Amino acid sequence: MASISLEDLCFRYEGAAQDTLTGLNLTVADGEAHALLGASGAGKTTLLNLLSGLLTPTGGRILFDGEDVSALPGRARSVAQVFQFPVLYESLSVADNLAFPLRVKKASRQLIAERIDVVCEELDINHLRHAKPRTLSLFEKQLVAVGKALVRPEVTLVLLDEPLTAVEPRIKWRLRQSLKRVQADLGVTMIYVTHDQTEALTFADRVSVLTTEGILQTDTPEVIYQSPSHEFVGHFVGSPGMNFVPSEALGVGGAERVGFRAEWATLDPQATLRGRVLRERVQGTRLGQRYGLLTIDTAHGPLTMRGALPHVANGPDSSVRSLVGSEMGLRVHRYVAFSQQRKVAEGELV
Amino acid sequence: MLEVEQVCLRPGEDDNAEAVFAHTFAPGEISVVLGANQSGKTDLCRLIAGLNTRARGNVCLDGQSLTGASTRQQAVGMVYQAFVNYPNLTVAENIASPLRARRLSAAQIDERVTDLATRLGIVTLLDRFPHELSGGQQQRLAIARAMAKQARVLLLDEPLVNLDFKLREALEIELRELLHAAGTVVIYTSSDPRDAFSLGDQVLLLDAGHKIQAGAPLEVYTQPASFRAMELLAEPGVNYLQQHGVLCAVRPEHVRVQQIENDAQPLQFNMRVTAYETNGDESFIHGRVEEHDWVVRSSGMMPVAAGDALTLYASAGDVVRF
Amino acid sequence: MSSFKPHNNRAWLGVLPVLLIVAFSAVIPLMTVVNYSVQDILDFNTRFFVGLEWYRETLNDPRFTEAFLRQLGFSATVLAVEIPLGLAVAKGISKNSRYTPLILILLAIPLLIPWNVVGTIWQIFARPDIGLLGVGVNVLGISYNYTAEPLHAWLTLIAMDVWHWTSLVALLAFAGLTAIPNAFYQAAELDGASKWQQFRYVELPRLRGVLIIAVLLRLMDSFMIYTEPFVLTGGGPGNTTTFLSQYLATMAVGQFDLGPAAAFSVIYFLFILLFCWLFYASINREQNMLSSEGRR
Repeated sequence: MASISLEDLCFRYEGAAQDTLTGLNLTVADGEAHALLGASGAGKTTLLNLLSGLLTPTGGRILFDGEDVSALPGRARSVAQVFQFPVLYESLSVADNLAFPLRVKKASRQLIAERIDVVCEELDINHLRHAKPRTLSLFEKQLVAVGKALVRPEVTLVLLDEPLTAVEPRIKWRLRQSLKRVQADLGVTMIYVTHDQTEALTFADRVSVLTTEGILQTDTPEVIYQSPSHEFVGHFVGSPGMNFVPSEALGVGGAERVGFRAEWATLDPQATLRGRVLRERVQGTRLGQRYGLLTIDTAHGPLTMRGALPHVANGPDSSVRSLVGSEMGLRVHRYVAFSQQRKVAEGELV
Repeated sequence: MLEVEQVCLRPGEDDNAEAVFAHTFAPGEISVVLGANQSGKTDLCRLIAGLNTRARGNVCLDGQSLTGASTRQQAVGMVYQAFVNYPNLTVAENIASPLRARRLSAAQIDERVTDLATRLGIVTLLDRFPHELSGGQQQRLAIARAMAKQARVLLLDEPLVNLDFKLREALEIELRELLHAAGTVVIYTSSDPRDAFSLGDQVLLLDAGHKIQAGAPLEVYTQPASFRAMELLAEPGVNYLQQHGVLCAVRPEHVRVQQIENDAQPLQFNMRVTAYETNGDESFIHGRVEEHDWVVRSSGMMPVAAGDALTLYASAGDVVRF
Repeated sequence: MSSFKPHNNRAWLGVLPVLLIVAFSAVIPLMTVVNYSVQDILDFNTRFFVGLEWYRETLNDPRFTEAFLRQLGFSATVLAVEIPLGLAVAKGISKNSRYTPLILILLAIPLLIPWNVVGTIWQIFARPDIGLLGVGVNVLGISYNYTAEPLHAWLTLIAMDVWHWTSLVALLAFAGLTAIPNAFYQAAELDGASKWQQFRYVELPRLRGVLIIAVLLRLMDSFMIYTEPFVLTGGGPGNTTTFLSQYLATMAVGQFDLGPAAAFSVIYFLFILLFCWLFYASINREQNMLSSEGRR
């Protein structure tokens, strides 16, 4: 395993007028689970291909454990990759698929058997050893693909390209758990590329938010979420993204705009930040009360809060009525303040 | 009103009485058909659309039966998971294509195209070709085209699965308002329980070709008819214990790390934490309770790590017994 | 409410016209042949029922057996050359060069030439007195005369068929290759697989379906070959390049042995039918495999 560094990494496609990636700097520690979070068009795939050696940088360097690998082809870098959909050798059994990267390198029989045992044990796929890929579910296939990426003991970096895309939403978390477990157990350096903030924040030790402007912020999921360094990060991370209002609206000085998350506000009919309720999105119940998102159309645009939604019992036949259309206010408890889109302060409001 | 009767999604394979069902889809409402992959969602759509499918059943719109594929194709508009548009037509021509078939005047067509394109936020792109659009724009175009048809039934087969996360979030809200305004029967299939809440006025749960429950999302959520129904509308899964031959199940968001105030008889469980995940909005604490894998879902982030021992609390009212 | 089923009871009415055309164009002539094959026809008014006599005779006819073995030899050789060669050509075509469409069109040209023209081209091309190939080979010091030497005749026929049909295999295989997602190559590259291993474990399994189609198409087609050897060698020297169809034509048209020729035709037809069935069954199997994969 190894630490990965990008130094002023640039890439421009042949004949293109602009760099797709400009001056990227990033260090991923040995054994770290790192996520690159970005919208489509932010250059995620390009960066992935640069790391795997499919593309060669047009500027800057890529270092694996301090060693410049920028010019090395993929096969010389000991990088493994897991793709959006499971990529396996279809004519080979699961065990032969796992053995493939080792056999190619002429590993000893004993090492191959050992590594297959380790990987099967770790991913809990012992029962699939003799199956052919086509008899497996997408979930199982992707587990095997992960196993194939981890089987070589000398792999320095495992790249994950939105590996949960093809897996059903309801069981994504199980694959993610398996990934996290092997990552921690084997101490593998992993870079996980995704547009999905849930994936990025739940998987990674640290997250980098990538845009066409470069990497805006690299930090732990907690900091990225609670304390975005840039308005875009606040908007892009979290569902829904951060609410933004002019700083005067909350009486915060020394900044242009103030951002707050949906759960940093509570409903208060007396609050000054008020308006008509635009929509409710119920997501279930908590302690018997409806729970979810409520959007109020204020003078500063629609603002959304998350929390318990009070029952409005204003009919004899129905116990639950929607708040939509009624007047409501928001009390904000926490904020992050921005000037020229960059974070300048954060704090609590009493 | 769209009624389906005597529907059997897997004739030949699974013909017994439980496999045959009826359902009514009301106009002006979005009905989310929720089920895992291969649960029969797409078969149901294809049956309603009159497309080739193994599913069988009677389809009846506003009291009139839809016989034969051609009448059905006129009454039904469909949006697919893949972005399906005419590649050689501009955005405007794509939207106009179902209108031309109805011999409207050029002025009428123009007006309708501009109106739909405005509502879907693609009015500045009318002269472009589909391949010049982003994924989100292409899917907006497909939706605009389906709506231009003024079909009485609009089928959307997982239309947002291939879109970026943030785009999807925005389009979900727009789509909900747009579809309500259309006032037609809207059927939206999904395998994601979040869609049932964010889009659905009604939800129909399908499991292995069977209808297992239907109703308003919150009602199905609070009163699941079966364990499987509870599971289908749970994220990421359901926690359960076997007690005296009774299956006691509780949703991850109803298990709490803090004691519940004013709860006379709180239930208590001991959990050994195996993993902790957070997406900022919410945290998921995975662990073992007795011999079972449990998940606690709570809002915000928590100071929890693998290996911790936690006492969990649940209110008796939130436990469902089967 | 009315019922809508995928198996509409009246749907068969729709295929009735096709059934009628097939009846007139195929079934009725075929029945005539079957009828002839069980009778001894002296002239149009004098005929006897002879049962399976003609079949027995045909199967015991050493010239039939020879033609049959020759046919098998020809088909096997042609397949053994065209399939690997076609694959190699397909592998050689760059997937996204701007010349790719031009190369594909050039490849398709031999497929568009009428079969008797193909025969004529090679007949002239290979002539030892004036043909470019024939003269060229002789100039190199190898004595070559396909009209006199059976081996030379065979080699020329095979070369002609390879020239004519390898493009078909190449085009099919190329289509199959372009359908393989890039991720598969990328993964194999990162695994450290050699070019040969990529071909063996990534491309070949994914080309399975396409190759089965190519093999069976070429098998059926080469089994029915008539025009080209007729034009090029006329079945000679001697009978050394007389294949099944040509022997049949000699019997039916040359010697007017209608009964034995009819029995021959039926046997020949059954073979082709067997190939068709193999073709159909293997395509079905491929599709079932694909759909069972999709279902999971």
